[in-house]
Amino acid sequence: MKALFAEGLERPHVRLKQKLLALNWPFLALLTAITLIGVAALYSVAGGSLEPWASRHVVRYCIGLALLFTVALSDIRLWLRVAYPLYIVTVIMLAAVLVIGVESGGATRWIGWGEFSFQPSEIMKIALVLAIARYYQWLPPSQVSWPYAVLPPLAMVGLPVILALDQPDLGTAALFGIVGGGLLFLAGVSWLYFIAALVGVIVVLPHVWASLHDYQQERILTFIDPERDPSGSGYHILQSKIAIGSGGFAGKGFMQGTQAQLNFLPEKHTDFIFTMFSEEMGFIGAAVLLALYLLVLLFITYMALRCRSTFPRLVAGGMGLCLFAYVFINVAMVTGLMPVVGVPLPLVSYGGTSMLTMMAGLGFVLNAHINRETRIRREEIGPFW
Amino acid sequence: MRPRDYALRLRNRFTRRAVLIGAAQTGLFGLLLWRLRRLQILESPEYQLLSDDNRISKHLVAPARGVLYDRVGRTIAEDRENFRVMVIPALCQDLAATLDAISEIVPVGAADKDRVVRAARRQSGYFPVLVTEGLDWRQFALLSVLAPQIAGMRTDRATYRRYGRARSMAHVVGYVGLADKEEVSAHPVMRVPGFRTGKAGIEKGLDAELRGEPGTISYEVDAHGRVVRELGGTPSVRGKDLVLTIDQELQEIAHKRIQDLRVASIVVLDALTGGIVVMASYPSFDPNEVSFKVDLAQWKELARNVDHPLENRALRGQYPPGSTFKVVTALAGLEAGVITPEERMTCPGGFLFGRHYFRCWKRHGTVALHEAIKQSCDVYFYHTVNRVGIDRLAAMSRKLGLGQIHDVGLAGQKEGIIPDTKWKRKKLGQPWYPGETISCGIGQGYVSTTPLQLAVTAARIATGKEVRPHLITPATPEPEPAQLNIDPVHLELVRGGMVGVVNEKGGTAVRSALTLPNVQMAGKTGTSQVISAKNRGFLKGWYGETHALFIAYAPVVSPRYAAACVVEHGGGGSRAAAPVVRDVMTEVLLRDPALKTALLASNEETAGATKERKR
Repeated sequence: MKALFAEGLERPHVRLKQKLLALNWPFLALLTAITLIGVAALYSVAGGSLEPWASRHVVRYCIGLALLFTVALSDIRLWLRVAYPLYIVTVIMLAAVLVIGVESGGATRWIGWGEFSFQPSEIMKIALVLAIARYYQWLPPSQVSWPYAVLPPLAMVGLPVILALDQPDLGTAALFGIVGGGLLFLAGVSWLYFIAALVGVIVVLPHVWASLHDYQQERILTFIDPERDPSGSGYHILQSKIAIGSGGFAGKGFMQGTQAQLNFLPEKHTDFIFTMFSEEMGFIGAAVLLALYLLVLLFITYMALRCRSTFPRLVAGGMGLCLFAYVFINVAMVTGLMPVVGVPLPLVSYGGTSMLTMMAGLGFVLNAHINRETRIRREEIGPFW
Repeated sequence: MRPRDYALRLRNRFTRRAVLIGAAQTGLFGLLLWRLRRLQILESPEYQLLSDDNRISKHLVAPARGVLYDRVGRTIAEDRENFRVMVIPALCQDLAATLDAISEIVPVGAADKDRVVRAARRQSGYFPVLVTEGLDWRQFALLSVLAPQIAGMRTDRATYRRYGRARSMAHVVGYVGLADKEEVSAHPVMRVPGFRTGKAGIEKGLDAELRGEPGTISYEVDAHGRVVRELGGTPSVRGKDLVLTIDQELQEIAHKRIQDLRVASIVVLDALTGGIVVMASYPSFDPNEVSFKVDLAQWKELARNVDHPLENRALRGQYPPGSTFKVVTALAGLEAGVITPEERMTCPGGFLFGRHYFRCWKRHGTVALHEAIKQSCDVYFYHTVNRVGIDRLAAMSRKLGLGQIHDVGLAGQKEGIIPDTKWKRKKLGQPWYPGETISCGIGQGYVSTTPLQLAVTAARIATGKEVRPHLITPATPEPEPAQLNIDPVHLELVRGGMVGVVNEKGGTAVRSALTLPNVQMAGKTGTSQVISAKNRGFLKGWYGETHALFIAYAPVVSPRYAAACVVEHGGGGSRAAAPVVRDVMTEVLLRDPALKTALLASNEETAGATKERKR
């Protein structure tokens, strides 16, 4: 039994101390800096008031930190065991949302028991990463690119993507797709599969397009290019672009953003917080915020590279992909590069579920980092349990 | 290959691919930054403009209209605060619902609602439409508090026009009203809600001066168009204040004096300067009622009234001057040298010219010029005008201010008619018949004049100067009016006759002599036929009566004021018109600062004398 575990792990007190020392503290400082930018932005959005968003954002970050530490310091093997059950339970919840979910803003994403409600799709992001990482931890390295070995992870990705599209929540579906596809890529699946997928899409897409009705095509075109419909969803994008553009190089100054302060922006405290931030802080502020995110991403990549075992390596890499997808989709959306899909800006946007999910995800990254030297042998785990 | 090698290969592959993904992420972040650069640096000015468009809402501010003062500085017309409620149709979810919500606090009539709905359809939805105005403070406060709940509603403060001594001043100052369609298309500024332009009187005649320049005000608005704060703007420029030559108090007295008559008007001029001191016309109306919160029924009643209360008769009433015209005929005769003051003519009660017998109102026996004027002998002037001829009579009439428009700043003045051969050929295409000249000599026939013109004639005869009437006190004192090119001796002869009319036994207006000590009035009565006597039977009652006229000046020594009064269908000039002039002139003289002291002194003298006598 002893041989199965990495050295030193049988002495818990030493283990905790070592784990704390092994934590990536600069990484945590970076996260806190980004969160503080979020707090300032929420303070400004509320017209110079901690209520109703900024103060709660701080509280949620603190709760998130607690969650992050709990996840980071927990036993990585526990997650190895929990990965598949968690994934299955989450898929069931995701399916349940479609049946008993609470509708909000035209899409059913929430599931609730009394006071408490949450979005299964948020948990899914973590569960998906864990499940795929668990799969490749188990799969013999020689079989990674075998066709039948590619099918299970494809199914793992495909199921939540389809469920998310059913809600309908295109942003989340895209996110699952990016994270799942990225993980397969990182796991070492042959290039050929990716090229084949790309070719397949290119071949099939025009036929699908041609088979659509005019109004459906129109709807998709409007979705891709919202400015076709300036009074509908294009209004938000146009107003967002006006806000960002009018901020200029140096910005209008903290709390001086007219577009956001005057309610021209929709969802200014959640999905469009970046707009408000770059209106007030200008190009410089936006560039600094993006640089901070990039630093976090590079940190994650660095941490993933140092992992000895497949599971922590892929967990860290998957979480990094997830964070990247969030930031990129959000910023591309508010700057009019991408259609409007409801994706928050991690750590900055106001929102409890996304904050906790993100902190938990980052907790897994740190967990992987702590366990960078931990060897997990294929033989330790069975195919399912 | 051993599994271990596979694992190592996979790890290396992971490293390569993780670096690749890291690079891709960096690249995509670079794409975001490139996009931000385009928005925030390259296209920023454009977006800044759009942002300002978004948040800044510019409004025109109606300027305050100039204040009108009377000659001693009493306020005649001024702007007062006016609480209004408006709707911006584009911001109403449901215009009808908004109007209903408003009418729960302020009653809004169905006609008003209709007007708002129509206006909303006609113009840009972002242009405020006036719903109702003149709210009291309580209503205004209540609506202002409710403004965020009632979509598209605005309250604001503007001004309305308030007229003092409204009824007596009505015809002089006129009134204001909402700019009509032509005015709006000429000057889009007038679409400012509640913008009023002059519709009559001074308000219309001098609208350009009174109006002022509209200003702008910029508000910062939120996405729902709610005003967040004021950003400033250019202030509106207040219209010019004007000082009228009218004396409000005298105007009121004159108005009261002619109130008992059905239709009458009186003009009193300062004969030295030409300033119009009194210009009253009856029946009248209240300009406050027609310029603000107009009651349509009331307005229709005013417009349709048979006595035309909206007409300013002092300027627009054209009457045959009747015997008052004899002073003109007399001067024309004297200047032409066709009569002398000594020549006596016989009045057998009529004058036969060709086959037509022109009647005199009385057998006067033999009269010379002085008596002819004093007793108003028609025959004397039939002879005179027959010798003078129509063209020379017309020239004299024009010299004395008849047959022309004296621009006093009011719109719609009438010219009257001073006929001559040219006029007839032009207007009627016929030659002048000598027989027509005869009735013109006594101010009948084609001759027609306005009360203002008659007052000017009186003033010119009294002073011998080319007096020009005006209503607005000029900023710089105008040069003395030029001397009329009339022999002063001749003028003096006519004046003597006019003095006789009022002050000598046998004068036609001797009962209307002033009762003031040491001050006398000179005048000339006139009774003009509405239609020739033959047709009299067609017009029954009031309409068949003659017009009563009287022109006068006072004091006799160094004349200061000239007056003309016309009482429509009032009967004889001596009975109906002269007493009006006497009463008004008395009040005018009593208020003249130069004469006041003299009058007071003489009063004391008389009082002293009475005391002596009592003793």
